[in-house]
Amino acid sequence: MMITAMTRRSALRAMMLAASTSVLAVAATGAQGADAKKIVFLVNGNLGDKSYFDLGAKGMDLVKQKYGDQVETKVIEMGTDQTKWLPTFQDVSEQDYDLIIACTFEISDIMAEVAPEYPDKTYVLIDGVMPYDKGDYGNVYSVVYKQNEGSYLAGIFAASLLKDGVVPGSQGTSLGFLGGMDIPIINDFLVGYVEGAQSVTPDIKIAISYAGTFNDAAKGKELALAQYRAGTAIGFNVAGLTGVGQLAAAKEADKWALGVNSDQELIFKDSDPAMAAKVATSMLKKVDVTLARTYDLFLEGKLPIGTVEAIGLKEEAVGLAETGNMATLAPPALKQKLDEAKVGIISGAIKVSSGFAIDQAALDKMRTAVRP
Amino acid sequence: MTFLETIAHIVDLVPVLLRVTTPILLAALGVHISQKAGVLNLGVEGMMLAAALAGVLASAASGSAWVGLAGALATGAVLGFLLSFAIHVLKADLILSGIALNMLAAAGTTLVLYMLTGDKGMSGSLSSGVLPSLAIPLIADIPVLGRLLSGHHVLTYLAFAMVPVVAVLMMRTPFGIRLRAVGESAEAAATAGIDVARMQIAALVLSGLLAGAAGAFLSMGYVSWFSQNMSGGRGFVALAADLMGYGSAWGTMAASLLLGAADAFVISLQGKGIPSELLQSLPYIVPIVALVIHARARRKRFVRI
Repeated sequence: MMITAMTRRSALRAMMLAASTSVLAVAATGAQGADAKKIVFLVNGNLGDKSYFDLGAKGMDLVKQKYGDQVETKVIEMGTDQTKWLPTFQDVSEQDYDLIIACTFEISDIMAEVAPEYPDKTYVLIDGVMPYDKGDYGNVYSVVYKQNEGSYLAGIFAASLLKDGVVPGSQGTSLGFLGGMDIPIINDFLVGYVEGAQSVTPDIKIAISYAGTFNDAAKGKELALAQYRAGTAIGFNVAGLTGVGQLAAAKEADKWALGVNSDQELIFKDSDPAMAAKVATSMLKKVDVTLARTYDLFLEGKLPIGTVEAIGLKEEAVGLAETGNMATLAPPALKQKLDEAKVGIISGAIKVSSGFAIDQAALDKMRTAVRP
Repeated sequence: MTFLETIAHIVDLVPVLLRVTTPILLAALGVHISQKAGVLNLGVEGMMLAAALAGVLASAASGSAWVGLAGALATGAVLGFLLSFAIHVLKADLILSGIALNMLAAAGTTLVLYMLTGDKGMSGSLSSGVLPSLAIPLIADIPVLGRLLSGHHVLTYLAFAMVPVVAVLMMRTPFGIRLRAVGESAEAAATAGIDVARMQIAALVLSGLLAGAAGAFLSMGYVSWFSQNMSGGRGFVALAADLMGYGSAWGTMAASLLLGAADAFVISLQGKGIPSELLQSLPYIVPIVALVIHARARRKRFVRI
C-alpha cells in the first residue's frame, strides 16, 4: 500500500510538473554565473492586472537588471484556478530556488501550508502576514505597507489643491473618502489621509463613506456622487472594485478622484481618457520597489526572515503616482511641500497615526471633527 | 434648513432612488413572471451578471451601446431558456438549477473576461459604450418637475414602462391567463390542453430578458465597465421584492421602490456619524420587516377563507 501511495504521489508530482510547465511564463533567463542565485515570483493570478502582479514582474526585471548573470529570475503565472496554487507552490519548493516570492493576502494560507514542509527554503510574502504566533514560519519573511504614510501625502495633495485654488471652490469645498469597510486596514488609509489634509488646512472637512463591499462599482459610484453633491471636490477611494465606481462619478460630476494601490489613471487611459483625466493621482503600494529591496537585503544577509516588517516612505515603498495628471496639476510649491512632508515622516519629525493602533474613541473623534 | 432647501434636497434624492431601484425593478418583474408560471427564477442574479458582461463585450466589439444592450438581453434570454431546458428536458431540480446558474455565472464571467481581455477584475481596458439618459423636451425645462421626470437613464424609463406592460400581459391576455393557470396548477392546466412546458419556457425566457436589461443597466448605465460580481446581490433583493409584491406587477414595483428607498436613504445618511454597520444592515432589515408583515397578512387571508 505504501509503495502504491508513493508511486501515486510521484505520478501526481510529475503530472503537476507537466501541468505547471505548460503555464510557465519565463520572464528572464540568461547566461548564469557560477554561483548565481535563483529567485521565483509566483503570481496567484495572471499578469496584466495593471497592479500588484505587473509591478511584481517589474520588480523581478529590476533585480535582473541590477545583478545581471548573478541571478536567475523566473515569473510563474499560476492562473485564477486556486486549486493549482498549492501544487505549483509545492512543485516550486522542490526545486533549487533561493527565494520564493508571492504577494497578496490571498496566498498567505497556501504559503502557511507549504513553508513548514520545506524549512530549508526561504519564502517572501508581500502585503500579507503569516500567522507567526500559530506556527513555525521561521523561513518566511512577510512585508506589509505603511499605507498611512502614503495616504498622509495624498491628504496634503488633495487639501493643497483646494487651498491653492488649483481645484476652484466652485467645484466643492471639502474632501471625500470612500472606504470598503470600517476595518483597521481601511482606516489606516483614512487616518493618514485626514492628518495629511489637516496639516494643510486644520479645519478641513472630509465626507467619509463606507460601502460595506469591495465588489459593487455601482454602489461606489452612488456613494461618491452623494459626496460630490454635498460639496466634495476631491475624493479618495480605498474600496477595491467598489472604489473604481468613484472614477465614473468623478467623470459624471466633473470632480476629482484619488486612486489607491496601483495607478488608477492607467486603467482608463486608453479606453476612456475623459475618465482617466479625473484621477488626480493614486496612492501607490510599490511592489516592484519592495521586491528589489527584498533581494538586496537577502544578498546582504540582512533580510529579517521569520518576522513581519512594515515598510513605507523611508523605503520608497509607498507614495503618490507622480506621472500623469499629478505632474501637471501640482504646482512646484506643492511638490516641494510633499517632499518636505516625506522627509519629515522619514526623520520622525512628523508622526502619522496608524489605523491599526488608534482606539475607537480617537477614531470617532477624528471622523466627527472632519464631518462636513 | 429652510423649507425650500428641504424640498430641493428631496428632489435631489429622487434621481438616486430611481437609479437604485431600476435594476431591482427590472429583475423583480422578471422574477414576477417566472413565479406566476410556477418556475421561480432563482438564477436571476447570475443572469444579471452574465448579461452585464455580455453587454460590455458586445458593445466593445461593435462600437455601439445598443448592440451591447441587444447582447445583454439575448444573454439573459438564452440563460432563461437554458434554465427551463434543465428543468424540463434534463428534469433537474428548479432550485438547484437556479443556484447552479448563479455559481456558473459568478465564475464563468470572470473566466470569459480573463480569456478575452487578460484582466480578471474588471473590463476597464475595453472601450464599451454607455446607454444614454433621456431629456424629455418641454418637461425638462419645468423647474422641479423637470428634475423629477426628465433626464433619467433610458433603462430607468423602460423599467417603469414595463410595469403596466407586465401587468396587462399577465392579467388581461390569453397568454397571461394560461401562464398563471400553469403556475396555479400544472396538472389542471395540462388537462385543459395548455402546453405546460412551453408556457414555463416562455416565462423563463421573458424573465431572462428582464434580468438581462437589469444587467445592462449595471455595466452600461451605472458604470461603463464590467467588474467581478458587480450584481452585488441585487438579484436576491429582486426575489424579495417579488415576494413582497403580493403577486402583482404594481405591488412588485411598490416593493422595489421601498427596497430602493432603503438603499437611497442609507446612501444619503453616510457620513452623518451613524455607525456604518447599522447603516449597512438597514437595506436588509427592510425586506425582513416587510416579509413579516406580508406573512401575517397572508395568514389572515387564509383564515378568512
